[in-house]
Amino acid sequence: MFYILISILSGSIVVTSRILNTKLSEKVGLMQSSFFNYLTGLSASLILLVFLRDKLLTNQFNTIPFYAYLGGLLGVIIVILSSVITPKMSSFYATLIIFIGQLFAGIVIDFLINQTISFSKMVGGLLVIAGLAYNLYIDYSSEEIKKQA
Amino acid sequence: MYNFLSFFIGVLIAIMIAFNGTLSDNLGNYYSLVIIHITGFLVMIVILFYKKLKISFKNNIPIYLYSAGAISVFTVMINNLSYTALGVSLPVALGLLGQLLTSLAFDCYGFLGMPKVIFNKKKIIGLLIITIGIYIMTFI
Repeated sequence: MFYILISILSGSIVVTSRILNTKLSEKVGLMQSSFFNYLTGLSASLILLVFLRDKLLTNQFNTIPFYAYLGGLLGVIIVILSSVITPKMSSFYATLIIFIGQLFAGIVIDFLINQTISFSKMVGGLLVIAGLAYNLYIDYSSEEIKKQA
Repeated sequence: MYNFLSFFIGVLIAIMIAFNGTLSDNLGNYYSLVIIHITGFLVMIVILFYKKLKISFKNNIPIYLYSAGAISVFTVMINNLSYTALGVSLPVALGLLGQLLTSLAFDCYGFLGMPKVIFNKKKIIGLLIITIGIYIMTFI
């Protein structure tokens, strides 16, 4: 239950930080705002490390796959691409399609890890997409009415 | 075009969660956070150098606009914690619920200077279907 609650909370942080980042990028430029993102992100991480230092697990140090170190690189690519789409799409719409990509890839990755296909995750995921699509349709229809008026 | 780009971003996010989660499983929570952000920071510096872009601090920008990176650290941390316990697709679906509710709050109240969008009550139906979907993913 704890993980369920913090996962929902992480969604709130994602939206807030995406909006802040877009606003900053409008003022200082796209790349510059991403630079500040990582500067403040690294500072915050170092502060967390200093105050909440956990034991460095070195027992598996040599067995860490190389790809595990590429998350930071992917993060930069994601920040930049997100800053490109956010001013072009409504936050609700952007959230929808990004989610479909995330869920699709997430189910594939879970399958690769567990070697079993989770039927309930697929059914539940489709329902989530259906709910999103429905809300998206409402957004579209209300925009059409505005245009005609 | 932007639709495809959005989908691609989603796929990258899922892959990133798995990569970062693997690092966190091996190195611990805070060391992995530092490594993830050092990597990102170095990549950023290379990009800025390559594009010959200059960094300048402007005094007329509200300081809170610089906080996006600092609060994102907690997203990374939460994803790393959940990855071990729940995998990728479930935290993604749960995170979506948080995103949607937050997006609606931004639309409704115009937080942080975003344009206000009036809340359509029909959207409750969509949110309900989403919640049922997440319930099935989580508990069945």
